[in-house]
Amino acid sequence: MDDIIIVDKINKFYGNELVFQVLFDINLSIKRGQFTAFIGPSGSGKSTLLNIIGLLESPASGNIFLDGQDVSRLNKDEQASYRNEKIGFIFQFHYLLPEFTALENILMPYWIGKGRPPGKVVDRALHLMKRIGIKQFGGKYPNQLSGGQQQRVAIARSLVNMPKIILADEPTGNLDSKTSNTVMELLKEIIGENKTNLVMVTHDRDIAAGADRVIEIVDGRIKSSTT
Amino acid sequence: MRFNSYEFMIAGRFLVNGRSQTVLIILGIAIGVAVQVFLISLMDGLQRNLIQRTIGSSPHITIAPPLSSPLPLGIGGNAIDDYQRPLKTEENEILSWQRYGDYLGSIEEITVAAPMINGNGYIEKGRSSFPVLIKGITLPEADMIYKFNKNIISGDPRPGANNVLVGAASSEKSGLKVGDTFYLRNQKGAGDYFSIKGIFDLGSSAANNMVVMSLDRARNFLDITGISSIDIQVHDVFAADVLAENLRRSLSQVKVESWQERNEELLSGLKAQDTSSAMIQFFVLLSITLGIASVLAIIAIQKSRQLGILKAMGTNDKSAARIFIIQGFSMGFVGALIGILLGLGMAGLFMFGTETSGGPAYELKITLTNILLPAVLAVLSASVAALVPARRAAGLNPMEVIRNG
Repeated sequence: MDDIIIVDKINKFYGNELVFQVLFDINLSIKRGQFTAFIGPSGSGKSTLLNIIGLLESPASGNIFLDGQDVSRLNKDEQASYRNEKIGFIFQFHYLLPEFTALENILMPYWIGKGRPPGKVVDRALHLMKRIGIKQFGGKYPNQLSGGQQQRVAIARSLVNMPKIILADEPTGNLDSKTSNTVMELLKEIIGENKTNLVMVTHDRDIAAGADRVIEIVDGRIKSSTT
Repeated sequence: MRFNSYEFMIAGRFLVNGRSQTVLIILGIAIGVAVQVFLISLMDGLQRNLIQRTIGSSPHITIAPPLSSPLPLGIGGNAIDDYQRPLKTEENEILSWQRYGDYLGSIEEITVAAPMINGNGYIEKGRSSFPVLIKGITLPEADMIYKFNKNIISGDPRPGANNVLVGAASSEKSGLKVGDTFYLRNQKGAGDYFSIKGIFDLGSSAANNMVVMSLDRARNFLDITGISSIDIQVHDVFAADVLAENLRRSLSQVKVESWQERNEELLSGLKAQDTSSAMIQFFVLLSITLGIASVLAIIAIQKSRQLGILKAMGTNDKSAARIFIIQGFSMGFVGALIGILLGLGMAGLFMFGTETSGGPAYELKITLTNILLPAVLAVLSASVAALVPARRAAGLNPMEVIRNG
């Protein structure tokens, strides 16, 4: 079982009256330990595919296997706890909780799944913060941080539960190019250190160039795929 | 329903973050609870006060023979022949009253059982006559019910032989004062001279039309062999009807009547008051509930971004709903606590403000029930109100938030 993600004949439609097909019979398997990038123009369906893999959206037909398990058969609550334990999300807009400090935001996924984090988990969070250079911001609230700092907090948050899969949707889309490069470098390093699998959506070919595998999606179909 | 500790933390942060909304709604709950605590205590106090005034100086239970009505006025004198005279039986007098007295004395709940003789008569003064009720009493029993000792306004409260007590109304109408002698005629036309030893005021016009003498003198004057009634007071006035019912079962030959049966109108008035205060309570609760529901609904909309993030990170629908239930419950709880303190403060201020030289004019009845009932109801309705935003939170799809940025 070498594949961490298997996408099996996924179809997806949007709209009720004017029905519009976003994904057409997508078949895909992603090997363990790879950094995979989905590229394509906006509206191509790449984000939708990422959200379906992340159990945030459900497909009209087809199955998703994550780490050997058919997750499309899970009910809503089971999907929620699966997301919590096995998947880390990084979105374009950093989506931190403004009511909580950076450290609290990082610990939140643990708290949701298992309750108050023990010292060991707090230490892990502090270690992650130190590793990505935001150690001194632990007590700050998101609105006191710059965009790059917030995105680093989001990266640390996605890693705190040590998930099997990290899904990132344009994680640098909102940052200037210098910050963007720093964040990407950091992300790749930390993914490698934590032995997790990264799938990233981007429309930036430069960023995609750093990936192990690039899958191009156009009009809801896989147009090309490197190996 | 299992709560997770992070739900409390998030609920707490949401409340602290929306400080002004939270404070406003807690204040709303507090005022609602305070008004209720105060109102219920005031109503309760007023009712007890009213009842105390009504029945404090009168029997709680009366035991009378089945045909106890005194002979009608006007039939009297020599016009009635012996054969027309009613026979003295247990039907119209209590002949074996000593037996009843012993039995009633053995009942724990009864504080006093006083034998009474009741009849009608006239005070005659010159050419005019004033109808009065003639009452024969024994001391100290009757004093425990009618409190002549306390209610005497002039003279001496102890009647004896031809020295009698006269009610304030009769004294006023006839112009008689302490020390005066007057002619009293009974319903059969016979009469005698009596002198006034004291004048009393029992607070009600019927009672203030009485001429009170000793039991033996009344028996002799009204030509009665037994007694007319036994007047009873009990420890717990509100349980008088239950005791009356029990007495009715064991004393089959006499008529037993409680103050509740005699004062049905008063009691139905008090019931109406209860209903209206229950309605006030209901509407106060309703407005609390609506207020909380609308504020929490706003919070739920304001926080939909955060809820979307939390759901993406694995918060399930029930958990998202609980975050809002916790918020509603905590605002209800804190509001109720403040409301109790505020209500007690209002009660204290009211008692202080209405205080006359002899202590507070009204006694507020502050009991645990009067405090806890509105508080518990407020907490419950706050929690129920939170169901509206809780449903919204549960139904929120994280994709709505993530897709729209």
